[in-house]
Amino acid sequence: MELKEKLLSSFMAFEERVDVHSELHDVRTSAIKNFEIKGFPTKKEEAWKYTSLNAILKNDFTVFPKKDSAIEFNQVKKYFIHEIDTYKVVFIDGIFSSHLSSTTHDGIDVCLMSSALTKPKYKMVIDNYFNKIASKDDSLTTLNTAFSLEGAYINIPKSKVADKPIEIMYFSTGNEAALMVQPRNLVIVGENSHVQIIERHQSLSENPVLTNSVTEIFAQKRAIVDYYKIQNDDLEANLIDNTYVSQQKESHVSVHTFSFGGNLTRNNLNFYHFGERLTSTLNGITIIGEKQHVDHYTLVNHAQPNCESFQDYKGIFSDRSTGVFNGKVYVEKEAQKTNAFQKSNNIVLSDKASINAKPQLEIFADDVKCSHGCTVGQLDETALFYMQQRGIPKKEAKALLMYAFSNAVIENIKIPELKKRITTIIANKLGVKLGFDL
Amino acid sequence: MLSIKNLQASIGDKEILKGINLEVKAGEVHAIMGPNGAGKSTLSAIIAGNENYEVTEGEILLDNEDISELAPEERAHKGVFLSFQYPVEIPGVSVTNFMKTAINETRKANGQEEMPANEMLKVIREKSELLEIDRKFLSRSLNEGFSGGEKKRNEIFQMAMLEPKLAILDETDSGLDIDALRIVANGVNKLKSDKNAIIVITHYQRLLDYIVPDFVHVLYNGKIVKSGGAELAHELEDKGYDWIKAEN
Amino acid sequence: MSKYTEDDLKIELENKEYEYGFYTNLESETFPVGLNEDIVRAISQKKGEPQWMTDWRIEAFRAWEEMIEPEWANVRYEKPDFQAISYYSAPKKADPNKTLDDVDPELLEMYKKLGISIDEQKKLNNVAMDIVVDSVSVATTFKKTLGEKGIIFMSISEAIKEHPDLVRKYLGTVVPQRDNFYAALNSAVFSDGSFCYIPKGVKCPMELSTYFRINQAGTGQFERTLVIADEGSYVSYLEGCTAPSRDENQLHAAVVELIALDDAEIKYSTVQNWFPGNKDGKGGVFNFVTKRGLCETNAKISWTQVETGSAVTWKYPSCVLKGDNSVGEFYSIAVTNNFQQADTGTKMIHLGKNTKSTIISKGISAGKSQNSYRGLVQISPRAENARNFSQCDSLLMGNNCGAHTFPYIESKNPSAKIEHEATTSKIGEDQVFYCNQRGIPTEKAIALIVNGFSKDVLNKLPMEFAVEAQKLLEISLEGSVG
Repeated sequence: MELKEKLLSSFMAFEERVDVHSELHDVRTSAIKNFEIKGFPTKKEEAWKYTSLNAILKNDFTVFPKKDSAIEFNQVKKYFIHEIDTYKVVFIDGIFSSHLSSTTHDGIDVCLMSSALTKPKYKMVIDNYFNKIASKDDSLTTLNTAFSLEGAYINIPKSKVADKPIEIMYFSTGNEAALMVQPRNLVIVGENSHVQIIERHQSLSENPVLTNSVTEIFAQKRAIVDYYKIQNDDLEANLIDNTYVSQQKESHVSVHTFSFGGNLTRNNLNFYHFGERLTSTLNGITIIGEKQHVDHYTLVNHAQPNCESFQDYKGIFSDRSTGVFNGKVYVEKEAQKTNAFQKSNNIVLSDKASINAKPQLEIFADDVKCSHGCTVGQLDETALFYMQQRGIPKKEAKALLMYAFSNAVIENIKIPELKKRITTIIANKLGVKLGFDL
Repeated sequence: MLSIKNLQASIGDKEILKGINLEVKAGEVHAIMGPNGAGKSTLSAIIAGNENYEVTEGEILLDNEDISELAPEERAHKGVFLSFQYPVEIPGVSVTNFMKTAINETRKANGQEEMPANEMLKVIREKSELLEIDRKFLSRSLNEGFSGGEKKRNEIFQMAMLEPKLAILDETDSGLDIDALRIVANGVNKLKSDKNAIIVITHYQRLLDYIVPDFVHVLYNGKIVKSGGAELAHELEDKGYDWIKAEN
Repeated sequence: MSKYTEDDLKIELENKEYEYGFYTNLESETFPVGLNEDIVRAISQKKGEPQWMTDWRIEAFRAWEEMIEPEWANVRYEKPDFQAISYYSAPKKADPNKTLDDVDPELLEMYKKLGISIDEQKKLNNVAMDIVVDSVSVATTFKKTLGEKGIIFMSISEAIKEHPDLVRKYLGTVVPQRDNFYAALNSAVFSDGSFCYIPKGVKCPMELSTYFRINQAGTGQFERTLVIADEGSYVSYLEGCTAPSRDENQLHAAVVELIALDDAEIKYSTVQNWFPGNKDGKGGVFNFVTKRGLCETNAKISWTQVETGSAVTWKYPSCVLKGDNSVGEFYSIAVTNNFQQADTGTKMIHLGKNTKSTIISKGISAGKSQNSYRGLVQISPRAENARNFSQCDSLLMGNNCGAHTFPYIESKNPSAKIEHEATTSKIGEDQVFYCNQRGIPTEKAIALIVNGFSKDVLNKLPMEFAVEAQKLLEISLEGSVG
């Protein structure tokens, strides 16, 4: 059975299992209807021109895992930023693992989506925020909405600084031959509050995984949100990550996406502005090889005056890998005095690697400063030679240059241990052992 | 020539000039000094007609005609020249093209024929030599990528080309090394005559060693609080602006 | 204070009449409206074409029937009713075989109004001109002078008869009949256009020029231009377009094919000033044009366009850089005002090694217009050391217009170097004040700044055209500045 059909027919069973009578029923039903009409996106659609899901959809994915799986912390310790204390919300094959998690209700809520969706005390929050910024039109987002049940729920009330970073971790065990999971996260950060979040999807076997994740982030007045996405998964793992950010005035939200692993990764990152003088930051480092494919699809919708957005994406592509950067800055008529900058720099290292970029500006206000730059090139041969002449072996010299190339983005990581971790992943990815203490 | 009477001005709600009186006669050089934020640049911008400032009271007379309601270009046509503290970049428009347009628009406004091309070239050559400006410089985009010194020299070059009646030099010395300062000052001195007048606006006395003023005014908190001869500039240099602040 | 603001300018712009909007009462022979195979045959027959040409058209027509009108461009308009257009209209008195002296005096009068003095050009002796009214070439000048060098410059209908081998060999090789909806339509019904052939090693001694004019109501213009520069030759080609002001939309669907053989160079410049519609967005020309050039080894094609007219523009002059070391260039100024919509840009297809392309696009939007740059830079796996540099700058005037940039970059070779930059800005108040202070009134200051903004592209136009283009820019944005 085709995956689409399978999902459609599973929907009834899913609804039976969860509470049919909840008000979410309508939300899920209209979402599945949209997915039924739209289906999975194809290359015929402008937004999916450079990314094809065909090969992946041929897998016979299990939509609901059959059994609970347990993992010991020591097996997976290395995937956490274990050097520091963090809150942890951990899922195994889509099911919450209380054993690995470290949640809290002490002043802030770091817990489960499933309880938030069902318990009365969260009802008001769910009514106000759930599925409010996520697209009701995008096929994959609505597919997630239809099956939304589990994920991380984070609610930081007014004037609170989360005392430690929050890690959201999704493991897949490979206990199913091929597994499709659809996590749903909701992050609400109140006025003047501050939170740092690290999200990771990790497959523990070589069985194919398809993750179709949706995260909604609401940043209230003057809130600060730093969101880090580590994508360093197994080569059989596929990730479609849909993130929707709603910002109120003077808030500052940054999303950093580090794409090193996975077979196919598609990041849909959308920022919507609902207040003045706010800042949005979108950073990314992509370093891939083999036949990996990473597609960054970003939208910053400037709808209010005096806002700023910064996008900086670095990509390094080797072997037969393909990279896509499709960034759109949309400046509405009301959004005067917008500053919007977008940069995509790419290095292609092999004959078979390719890069497609489409950096777009759509501007309807006249008093704005908008620019975008996109480059595709190679490592600087002269610099390489210079370094070799000073005794640095070619491989290390190359790695150093590539590290330097990505450095502007790495510098923006505000958690030192995470920065170190990313640096190590990059060094591993480049096949060198270097301290990179530049 | 220039007569400013009880000039008061504000930007938004902020009152910046609080009653300025100034008389400048042909052949004179006036220096206006004062600490940062005293209103020096505001005064020059208002004389030139910058509409970001609102004149709330008083009048500005040029040869007994009130110019305070005129558009900036109309004032320019009557011979008011402002050397900008921060000259503006206009990409793609060469210095020569800009000057040609400025001169011919001024001539047109004054009922004169356009300046013939060969005469234009001759004048440009003459004046660029006066300011020690390289010919290549003239075909570059206006102020784009110019060094601080080049920008200021270019301002004085334009002053030489336009031969204004009243020239206001707003912080022309800022960002200039000693050689550039000398070139700029020489240029200004050569342009000085008994038919025109110059107002030098500066924070430091340095420029006044080269362009010697007949009168020095000290502007503080939107008012001229002291006037005197060239010696006042030296006194200020010695005692610093705290002296003025203490007295007021 | 007598302040001339951008708002004033905007109002003035909106009320500015299209200067070329007169209609000349020429006696015309016009086909009934509608399109079917018979009409295609009739056009071919009317022009006395050989059978292969008729077949070629029919083939195109059948392809077109299967196609649907593209919708991906960032433009909104009511689709033309292709059955409500007359596909052939010719001034009755035109006879391409006659010399200029035989041209209908009313036609000459029309050209005078357009500011094209054919006599004048004759004297200046530097521009050879082909003139196309509605669908038919009415006059080609300088045939003889060019003939001495072996250069063929004539209407394409004449060329089909006189040089069938050349036409047959190259027609449709760069833009195939079924390339796209409008190209297919054009291939079926094109009634005239220019043909040019520069023999091996010949540097064309003068600018070749075509003026296009839609005169008759309810007609479409579908001209076809074919320029072949043989090995080592050089030609600079100019194209200008105008149309009368009419309430209904007129359709212009042209195809231009350029072929630059080894070591040849073609410079193709366009000043497009079709009627843009009135200030309420009524009427105006739909300009759906396919222009493409093919570069063989060491060849170079350079497109320069100044687009100020048309209600809707859909146009992407492109270069297929097939030969090694070939060079493609695209320089564009697109001005939109009132309700105009332009979706224009280029495609640079790098196939050969060491191929280079440069794209400079300057978009100026005013009124309620929408101005989009859409460009593709494609580096194929074989294109070692390909280089591209793109710069797209937009200038917005007022807050009711839009400026959009849609660059597509596709690289499949690691040795490629691609740089793309884009900026959007407005005219700074400080710039205007600085000009004012030097005695330059606001209106003139804006013209000066816009000219400066467009200078990189204006500089690429041949001298004869640069002045005209500059004038056109000023007219379309602000009135009479000399």
